Amino acid sequence: MSATSPYTRQEMMAIATGREIRDGELAIFGVGLSMLAGFFAQAHHAPNLRAMTEGGVYGSTPVGGLPWGIECNRISTNATSFTSGLDALGCLVGSGRCDVGIIGAAQVDKYGNVNTTGIWDGEIGDAYRAPKTRLTGAGGANDIACGAKRFLIMVAHERKRFVEKVTYVSSPGYLEGGNARARYGFAGGGPSAIVTTMGVLRPDAETKEFQLDAWFAFSSIEEILANTGWSLKVSPHAHVVPEPTAAELAHLRKVDETGALRRQ
Amino acid sequence: MPPPKLLSLAEAVRRYSWDGMQYASGAALPIGSDAVVFGRELLRQKRKNLHAIFHCNSQQLNLLAGVGAATKAECGFTGLEVFGFANGLRRAVESGELVLEDYSNLAMPLRLLGGALNWPFVPATVNIGSDLQDRSAFAPGEFPARSKIATITDPFSGRQIGAFRPLKPDLAAIHVTLADPLGNSIMLGTEWSRVELSRAAKRVVIVADAIVDAACIRQFPNLVRIPEIVVDAVVYWPFAAWPQSSPGMYDVDEEHMRAMNGALATCDGTRDYVRTFVEGYRDVESYLDMIGRDRLALLGKSRTAFLLDPYRKWIMPAAEIARMQADAETT
Repeated sequence: MSATSPYTRQEMMAIATGREIRDGELAIFGVGLSMLAGFFAQAHHAPNLRAMTEGGVYGSTPVGGLPWGIECNRISTNATSFTSGLDALGCLVGSGRCDVGIIGAAQVDKYGNVNTTGIWDGEIGDAYRAPKTRLTGAGGANDIACGAKRFLIMVAHERKRFVEKVTYVSSPGYLEGGNARARYGFAGGGPSAIVTTMGVLRPDAETKEFQLDAWFAFSSIEEILANTGWSLKVSPHAHVVPEPTAAELAHLRKVDETGALRRQ
Repeated sequence: MPPPKLLSLAEAVRRYSWDGMQYASGAALPIGSDAVVFGRELLRQKRKNLHAIFHCNSQQLNLLAGVGAATKAECGFTGLEVFGFANGLRRAVESGELVLEDYSNLAMPLRLLGGALNWPFVPATVNIGSDLQDRSAFAPGEFPARSKIATITDPFSGRQIGAFRPLKPDLAAIHVTLADPLGNSIMLGTEWSRVELSRAAKRVVIVADAIVDAACIRQFPNLVRIPEIVVDAVVYWPFAAWPQSSPGMYDVDEEHMRAMNGALATCDGTRDYVRTFVEGYRDVESYLDMIGRDRLALLGKSRTAFLLDPYRKWIMPAAEIARMQADAETT
């Protein structure tokens, strides 16, 4: 939190992500930031949200701050159902039933493809080789990207993360763009927004290339362009995102009891 | 009635594990339930060249990989959730000491289900169209790889889908909250993929935080998702998932999660960790002493403790378990 802003960039990102979640939806959240954004939405404007984790923990709300994992006791303490990965990611997500998911990214490209597997020195090449820096792998994000009706990508806006083409597609966005997803018959529709620490990107209806849709009050079009590794188009309707309201901040900070979003 | 299957941890590892085997962990993601103590015993008995089947990485795989005991792994998620990257696994993958084949968190239980049902393959509508399909660490020369997730035609719609290879691990060490002496098991918290795994694995060792009387099982048969029919042995080991959590029993040990992962980042740190926390106990009591009785009391004060209430009256005392275990080991 800077001296001039009453909220952090991470908090703005979480609130902007939460605003994408509508009341009554069936939603799946990953661990960390996405869980805070999702449960913020539930606390603030989506009381009838049906939230689940990929572990098969249903009907619960975190207690005592950010859970250490999606099966942590902080979220297992008030569940209405414990099932399984097969049930949550298969019957409810892979099947196409889930309305919205939130995933993170180490790298994201202009078609919303996500890499969470590794960082290589250059291209992988024809023969697979281990990454220079190994990351966390696909986890449930690939299943959410394939199956959820839509999904949101949360990622820190840095040039090294926003690349023309990800080195490794861990979770598919729109692949090469256009209707490329149709080749695989995915149940889900693809990413509806990339919410960053500077603004919000949305896909063009035809090409599916992500464009700058909105910037946060503390950022600017120039800052976002300078921190994007592809030649980012700016939507003719680009606008500034409304700042968090007092109520939004209060709800977010109640969910984020341990202040995970306020450490920068 | 069949005889009890209670075995000591050391005896279970001696009987059911060997070098080069396909070893699966029955866990509930990286922070939760996992028989981490089974991995410690594999190291105590110097098992090596393991092919690890871990739906998700946990501190167990982090340790096995960090020490160099696992040389192959198949996983969905390979981090430690909010505790960050798994340093032991990461070091092993980056150095090439361990070959890691990537899948997603739905692919792994589907593959186990395929093994459990003895299916030839499992249709895949996820993982296709991404590098999870096109890249294979086990067949690095194939690009796009099709020996990992094959492309097949849906006989009904005619469209192209994927085919997952089923899994039938040689051994699964499955962590549960409660088991009776025969292995009928109750899990508090998410099952994750322990049900599919218990039917897919060729051998199953249950590692339970507490042993309950058979009357408990008869009171809650609907909750017994792993029946004794698929269980070969039962190990009683309190705080078996430490430093991870076990809903109803104990919370995650945040300090040790960080310290352990910090140690596994280097060879020297790993050596020290093994000396202190793998070789540093003789039995259950000295294991609990090693963690520290004060710390155990604190971890046991979980907000989830109420989940255990309906079962408490059936939890068997350690002395009785020891007696049954001694009988079982001599037969």
